[in-house]
Amino acid sequence: MASTKDHPEETVAYFIVGDKLAIITTDGGDASTVHNRRGDFKAIDEAVTNGVLIHYYAEPNAVSAITDTPDVDNSMHASIVDFVKSKLYMDRAGSDPNLTQPSITLSQFHEKSFIDSLRKHGSRKRDKIGGARVIKTFDFNID
Amino acid sequence: MASRSLTVKQIISRVRQIFPSLPEQYIITLINDALLEIGMYRTKVEYAKATTVADQMWYDLSDSGSGIEVNKVFRVDFMDSDGNYIKIPRLIENEILKMDIT
Repeated sequence: MASTKDHPEETVAYFIVGDKLAIITTDGGDASTVHNRRGDFKAIDEAVTNGVLIHYYAEPNAVSAITDTPDVDNSMHASIVDFVKSKLYMDRAGSDPNLTQPSITLSQFHEKSFIDSLRKHGSRKRDKIGGARVIKTFDFNID
Repeated sequence: MASRSLTVKQIISRVRQIFPSLPEQYIITLINDALLEIGMYRTKVEYAKATTVADQMWYDLSDSGSGIEVNKVFRVDFMDSDGNYIKIPRLIENEILKMDIT
């Protein structure tokens, strides 16, 4: 069904609790209704096919074959190697007593490299906004 | 494909410079762990549509139940009577008086 809301920005709202999305409306009946008056928050009151468009940050797709390319920006691909090596050195530290200390050191080195790439430079790598910034002032013309 | 992208095969070959006998499947598992970690940093923007049900308040966003893998919702639109999607506000105070469980 299609929506009957002319201005959903005024009468429909959402909130999130855990992994549940709540769609609510303030549309309703007159003052004689019980907790169903216009202005009271209540569940969305109409069925709308594809009525909600959700914009979200998603998890990258998993890889399964050696021909796959990781589903993240290519600037992060080299960091994946660091992550994998970090875990593998930690595995080696636990399995070979003679190599425990150097493996832990190398594990921490690669982990730091991965985290630095992700957090310190992360915004620069993932953010594709560029170009000179300008401030658009108010229009002082009076008609 | 970008010229400097790495395939899983290339990542495995880099790792095998140090760990030559490592099973391929184990490295792929670790690559997926890395992707999960990187995914926490808002690298991938997606959109999804949901159908509302009259008098149903709650809609599933869980990875298993919704069919989409959501890390964080940053905007929600609702269809108006012309069929356009209009941004709706997020309610900060979600302790509303009338709370449904459906």
